[in-house]
Amino acid sequence: MKLFRGFRAILYKEFIVIFRDRMTLFFMLFPPMVQIVAFGFALDNDVKHMPMVVLNEDRTVESRALIDAFVNTQTFRVVGEVNSVEELAEQMRRGKIYMGLQIPPDFTRNLRAGRKATVQVLIDGSNSTTALQALNTALGIALRRSLDVLLGETGRRELPIEVRPQVMYNPAMRAPNFFVPGVIGTALQIAILFAVAMSVVRERERGTLENLLVSPMSRWGLMLGKLVPYLCVSMLMAVLLFGILRWVFFVPIQGSLIALMFSALLFIFALASLGLLVSTKAQTQNEAMQMSMTVMLPSIFFSGFIFPRETMPWIFYAFSTLLPLTYFIQLMRGIVLRGAGLRELWPQLTVLAGMGLALFSLCALRFRRKIG
Amino acid sequence: MKMIECDNLTKRFGHLTAVDHVSFSVEKQSIFGFLGPNGSGKTTVMRMLCGILEPSDGTGRIAGVDVAAETDRIKGSIGYMSQKFSLYDELTTNENLLFYGRLYGLAGDALRTRRDELVALTHLEPYLAQRAALLSGGWRQRLAMACALVHKPAVLFLDEPTAGIDPVARRELWDLLFELSSQGVTLFVTTHYMDEAERCSQVGYIFMSKLIVCGEPDELKLRPEVNPPGTKRLDVTCDHVTIALPAVRKLAGIRDTTVFGQSMHLLVDAQMPEQLIRDTLAGAGIHEVDIRHIAPSLEDVFVALTKVRA
Repeated sequence: MKLFRGFRAILYKEFIVIFRDRMTLFFMLFPPMVQIVAFGFALDNDVKHMPMVVLNEDRTVESRALIDAFVNTQTFRVVGEVNSVEELAEQMRRGKIYMGLQIPPDFTRNLRAGRKATVQVLIDGSNSTTALQALNTALGIALRRSLDVLLGETGRRELPIEVRPQVMYNPAMRAPNFFVPGVIGTALQIAILFAVAMSVVRERERGTLENLLVSPMSRWGLMLGKLVPYLCVSMLMAVLLFGILRWVFFVPIQGSLIALMFSALLFIFALASLGLLVSTKAQTQNEAMQMSMTVMLPSIFFSGFIFPRETMPWIFYAFSTLLPLTYFIQLMRGIVLRGAGLRELWPQLTVLAGMGLALFSLCALRFRRKIG
Repeated sequence: MKMIECDNLTKRFGHLTAVDHVSFSVEKQSIFGFLGPNGSGKTTVMRMLCGILEPSDGTGRIAGVDVAAETDRIKGSIGYMSQKFSLYDELTTNENLLFYGRLYGLAGDALRTRRDELVALTHLEPYLAQRAALLSGGWRQRLAMACALVHKPAVLFLDEPTAGIDPVARRELWDLLFELSSQGVTLFVTTHYMDEAERCSQVGYIFMSKLIVCGEPDELKLRPEVNPPGTKRLDVTCDHVTIALPAVRKLAGIRDTTVFGQSMHLLVDAQMPEQLIRDTLAGAGIHEVDIRHIAPSLEDVFVALTKVRA
């Protein structure tokens, strides 16, 4: 075919080069594995067993019951008792504890007399996530105990309203279920972008590109021949990562495998095309590396991988719609966690396919079969 | 038939003019030697003729086809061996050949037959299964050459094909070039070696972006700039050339001197008696002296013409 002249030759050569060049293959396959395991275990925002100290100036059954209530939530564990507020503050400054509970001497007296009994809770606000959780837990405990007291006074046996939460799709609210699908996206992105970004510029640096340009090869043939081998290797990588998701992190895949693989393919196609574009623009491998980094970093922050996109200022939200990773993370969470299929997720799939086609065409059309 | 034609070919990079109105033509089957110092524009001319660099002005033609306007039509007729023999290091000799064959649309039996022909021509047989990365300079060069020939081009461009390879490989490459030429291939070779230039059927010398001379080596040596009227060229062979040279230089009527190993090449006034040189050297304590008339070498030609330009 004239449009794709040279495609089969490039394809043949590129497959050999990828599989012979152990370094490239290693750097494509190994880091994503490490990333998924490391990120998967480290990125856990379930806050549990935060260290706290108690300054108990009351020393009664009631005050001890209150401390137990804190421990029973499993959010906190008591690591010690202190004798003064200064001591408590000192421990917090050192970063030893997240929370300090101060129970004043008149706590039980006030409680029994039906007056307002106060306790002081000191929270380390330097980490907003843990602080928020500590605060909510503390407020919850106080509310619950207050209600118990009120119930006793009114004679009612149950609360007027009861919320029965049922968390769908990730009932245990495990963090790996939420994070690992996203990690797969970022890991794939890093490996593919770096590998593909080197592919054309390496030939430019080595001088072999000149030989290709002299030949009757067409630019579509060159681009497709470069793209397809990386698509294959990346799909292999995606399968491995899905395997880790399923059998290492025990995240059940609710949706269909076909939808999953199809999403991965479109995502990889878009990314590899982006890598190709970088590679045809860059004059040196160094330049290609820097250009890839420029794409990669914002993806990690703005794609919704860690921070929800909905709370971002509109400009970042708008920016995030340009990132392939944004759509892939939505697809992954949809398919893996919610069991969504192509019927629900076609908008994301269409966007990825469109991005891939547009970027790939741009590569081929803007690539000049000239040097300089 | 003119296989390569340049008509006021010019290339500017911003303010820099890399190639300045270069015109010449090369007949079919000839070996055209393109000489000039580094950075004078040799590679730029070659790249324009191969259609991978857009000329800023002027035209280049391969077998009558404009290289800029109809780039795709010349691709089948030209082979190009770039500097430093760019090959795919991860591929073996055999795979490199097959790759370039496929790139030019060969397949199946035709591809294998052509591969075997090229292997026979370049004697690459023992290295077929070896990675290109492990080949020595001379073998890399042969492989690069075989790859450039895979589609039987009518014109073969070689950019410094003998740079950095041993003398044996260099001679063998030239044997190969003559063989190709006898088969009807037109060759365009850039080089720094004067002895290689002497073997070409036609040479061009580019200096500071301008082609300052072009023609057959023998014809160039007869140029008036090279042989100023009323002068002759002498080869003076004697001991202690380093002592002899300053002594001779003082003589009136000496136009130019160059040392060639154990001898000096002198450009002197025609009427200067050889005995005067013998006497001068005897005065410097050198008695064994042999003086011969010589024709100018190509180097003399280029030196003379460069001086005229400068």
